[in-house]
Amino acid sequence: MSDYHQMWKDLGMDVENHDKLCNVLPTAVGDVFLSQENRPKAMDFWDMVISEVHGIRPAELIEEQKKGRKVFGTFCVYVPDEVVIAANGIVTGLCGGSQFWVPGGEAVLPKNTCPLIKASVGARLGRTCPFFRIADMYVGETTCDGKKKAYEILGEDVPMYVMDVPQMKRDKDIVKWKEEIAEFAKKVEEFTGNEITPEKLNEAIHIVNEKRRALARVYNCRKSECLPISGRDSLLMMQISFFDDPVRCAQMCNRLADELEQRIKDGVSVVKEGTKRILLTGTPLAVPNWKLHNIIETSGAAVVCEEMCTGTRYFENLVDETKTTLDDQFMALSERYMKTNCACFTPNTGRVDDILRMVKEYHADGVIDCSLQFCCLYDTEKRSVSRALKEAGVPVLSLETDYTDTDAEQLRTRIGAFVEMLNA
Amino acid sequence: MPEEKNGEEGRLRYYILFQNYEQGLALHELLSDHGLENRIAPAPRSIQGKLSCGMSLLIEPEAIEAVRKCISENGAEYYDIVPLAGQIISHRDRYC
Repeated sequence: MSDYHQMWKDLGMDVENHDKLCNVLPTAVGDVFLSQENRPKAMDFWDMVISEVHGIRPAELIEEQKKGRKVFGTFCVYVPDEVVIAANGIVTGLCGGSQFWVPGGEAVLPKNTCPLIKASVGARLGRTCPFFRIADMYVGETTCDGKKKAYEILGEDVPMYVMDVPQMKRDKDIVKWKEEIAEFAKKVEEFTGNEITPEKLNEAIHIVNEKRRALARVYNCRKSECLPISGRDSLLMMQISFFDDPVRCAQMCNRLADELEQRIKDGVSVVKEGTKRILLTGTPLAVPNWKLHNIIETSGAAVVCEEMCTGTRYFENLVDETKTTLDDQFMALSERYMKTNCACFTPNTGRVDDILRMVKEYHADGVIDCSLQFCCLYDTEKRSVSRALKEAGVPVLSLETDYTDTDAEQLRTRIGAFVEMLNA
Repeated sequence: MPEEKNGEEGRLRYYILFQNYEQGLALHELLSDHGLENRIAPAPRSIQGKLSCGMSLLIEPEAIEAVRKCISENGAEYYDIVPLAGQIISHRDRYC
């Protein structure tokens, strides 16, 4: 039996305060996930993980650390997991999706910082996230100004490595990112004491590609007119994938995809025929941020795709597995990662192209473009996203939200009206 | 949209609690093998007490007698079975 309280104490966590978070999680999980009928049976894996979200995986990571492995905590889909895995390291996501942690972040950051950053810093400084306590090193990246400055605070008592993400996508920027990856690899080798060889890196590239393929299989099922899984369940799968062992993640996602493909063959849908299909785009939805999905799916629509970092940006495009030298492999990694269309780039027309493509692929009836408060990058892109969708004749609703519950009623009103308009 | 289970906010359901998640997973498999509906759910804190296991099995009232019988016949391990109402409300809008 695992005594998580002892584990949390040993990690130096504020157990009393952490208990307050544990108190509210079961209610939210019940309301958002267990209120649904006819869920895929394979979701039982993610139901278990979320039930023990600060228990099972942290305990596994600690066991691996005892064997000498290092854990790297990351914040962004631009950090190449492959490099860490090739050095026998472990990658984990870090907490940052709850209002619970925001006040702790606001104690040291400007209030007009996005809630994701405030929550991450609050989770670390408040000692209420086991993943922040376990990680031997944090790996950041320069995808926004808020995070860049937050890393300076997070790096005060934990080794912090920051990768310099280019701001444009010219050929020389792809070469620059390749050089950043090569330097990161040196740092990872030094920190883990393990050499990264072309063979090990190729194996790691394959592992992460398999995970991407498995996630893509689930998403491909969501393209079906017969919708075999809700947006809420898909989101949970995606959020947990940032924390799980990549091989197990692929196994579980493939198990889910097997069931979804069978459901499609059998005509089993989680929604009534004619339910309007929503593509959601914008800023990431870190666990346990489920507000938007829950409101959309209890307002008569279904979320069929997330064009976001906790969505398609995480798994689209594979790394070339045919390269045999580290130099070529680093370039292959750079080429894959630089295809990710984040709003930190200028210009970023690729994201609009992606959204227009996905509207067709996922048969979306409308798009909701939502950014977290104070994310000026995604907020600014709403103009170009909205214009392109209107030109294509696709209804779009632009929203801004944070982690509080206080705007839920307002969101229900706006989303309800949007769905009503789609149904008209 | 996905339908709400029975749509009754005050509906009473049963939560099976465990000393550890291995026990919970074993019973989940046992009940599923016997065709008895059960869902993995975080244990509501009001009934979790000092147990460090956050996982429970959620049983609808229609199935509870068959579940008790199955547990008894197979000697399955669990800590407690607790009835609780008003736990699942999809429009509550109280997030974490």
